[in-house]
Amino acid sequence: MTRAHRLRALVMASPPVLVAAAFIGMPVVSAVMFTLGYSGGFNSILADIGQHEHLVTGAGGTLGAYRDVLGDPLFRQSLWATVLVTAAATAVVLVLSWGIALYLRLAGGRIGKILAGLAVVPMFIPVVIASYAILEFYSPNGFLRSLFAALGWSNAPVYGYTMVGVTFGQIWVSLPFGVLMMTSGLNAVPDALLEAARDAGATPARAVRAVLVPMAKVPTTITATFTAIGVIGSYTVPYLIGPSAPNMLGPLMTDTFESFNQPQQAEVMAVAIFLISAVIGAFYVRANLRGAKEGKSK
Amino acid sequence: MLGRLARRAGLAAFLTIFALFVVGPLVWLALRAFSGTWQYPHLLPDTWTLKWWTQVLDSADLGSSIRLSLVFAPVVTIVSAIICLPAAYAFARYEFPGRRFLLVALFATNAFPKIGLFLSMAGVFYSLRLMGTFLGVVIVQLLGTLVFMTWLPAAAFSSVPRSLEEAARDAGARPWRVFARVTFPLAAPGILVAMILSFLASFDEAQGTFLVGAPNYVTMPSTMYELVVNYPGQVAAVFSVLLAIPSVLLIALVRKHVMSGRLAEGFQLR
Repeated sequence: MTRAHRLRALVMASPPVLVAAAFIGMPVVSAVMFTLGYSGGFNSILADIGQHEHLVTGAGGTLGAYRDVLGDPLFRQSLWATVLVTAAATAVVLVLSWGIALYLRLAGGRIGKILAGLAVVPMFIPVVIASYAILEFYSPNGFLRSLFAALGWSNAPVYGYTMVGVTFGQIWVSLPFGVLMMTSGLNAVPDALLEAARDAGATPARAVRAVLVPMAKVPTTITATFTAIGVIGSYTVPYLIGPSAPNMLGPLMTDTFESFNQPQQAEVMAVAIFLISAVIGAFYVRANLRGAKEGKSK
Repeated sequence: MLGRLARRAGLAAFLTIFALFVVGPLVWLALRAFSGTWQYPHLLPDTWTLKWWTQVLDSADLGSSIRLSLVFAPVVTIVSAIICLPAAYAFARYEFPGRRFLLVALFATNAFPKIGLFLSMAGVFYSLRLMGTFLGVVIVQLLGTLVFMTWLPAAAFSSVPRSLEEAARDAGARPWRVFARVTFPLAAPGILVAMILSFLASFDEAQGTFLVGAPNYVTMPSTMYELVVNYPGQVAAVFSVLLAIPSVLLIALVRKHVMSGRLAEGFQLR
């Protein structure tokens, strides 16, 4: 391609990037500067209304807000809760997605279709509604407890307003993407390879381990990273289903801003989440680049 | 023989629990919407009624928020398509400096948690006098659709075989004709999925819309938060059923394409 062509392509590709740069990139940079104490420009209103702020004039930032947040036991509890819920939800989503995709791939049939169809249902439902529905389902007079009461156990656990309930919600909401990703990922592995393994004498389990698992590494990584990033920064699910405290970082951030009127500390938490997401995202990028390289060398 | 029976029983148990896990909360909520009195621990309402429906449908506020949602979502989808589809084509068909980086950067915009983003975005919006405006809400909802509208159509365009385009060009068609008659029809299913996912993302968008739009523009999801807190559960249930209808209809439309496996291809970097 000529230089002119390349430039034209770049221009063609730029509108969404410019929109993102203006309305996400700029605020993100602004937010990070705010956490370091810069109160000018876009941050001036936040700086005016906030309390317990660590601001600077001129160059040279301050880590005061970071010290505040990292030293706050509420934040540490919330961070821990967030990491746990994210890890648990991602693990369960991976297991369920692999399980359903595997069943579809190896057995198929009507049951396979039913499983896949069920797994995709959450995609139809807005997150706000799903969260509310799940909260009610596991509440003291919800389905779970009613069912067990009808069966004779009158003191079944309540998962509404608990982190367990939040984890159920996160799994529920993240499941469709995982199942879709893993089914298409496993379907992309040619039948011939599986048959060759079986002909060579491998049991189904061995065939899965030796053929499907390595070849589906990229979709597995995508499922894991996208799910984790989605859960870690989530707000609606933990807000509606979770306890007031300790909850995940999303609701804590909003509380810190709305109830405690500490926007600077809230932004520090946002930066913390972003950093963790970036690390997780790095896995995704690396897996993709490796996958693309392997594809090229074939 | 026994092993086979055990496996079947295990599968049946898993299927039942899984179905309950996925569909249970929705059915429970739907029942709520029609329930008059419902004592614990009954598994069905004791009396049925439509009064909550009349209450919701009569309420001016709730009605206007439904209408508003149904106005914003198409507008945002169309604006998003105009901004992102040419870019998607460029990402798919052309090599240019920074191509992969920009694709990842677009995706990375989702990684910064929305709440933290909105605090700063408020600053930008105040300066640009976008707070409380229609355009402001459109922009906020647009941001959530950028990844769908760029990545998925880019994958759709990529999957159109170049040989077909070359054949058309060899037969004498101008570039625009090639695009309109060959490329676009073949990429259309992927683009349709992207548009519907974008529609739903805009429809579903709550926090940003609330931050920027309130009190002038309050959409369905924002109202939902308030309903959950301030109204009896049955009202929230009715509202939920209403809010779920567009989603169900739209995804049912493209269900075949979504489940065909294109979605997965759309999220792989090429």
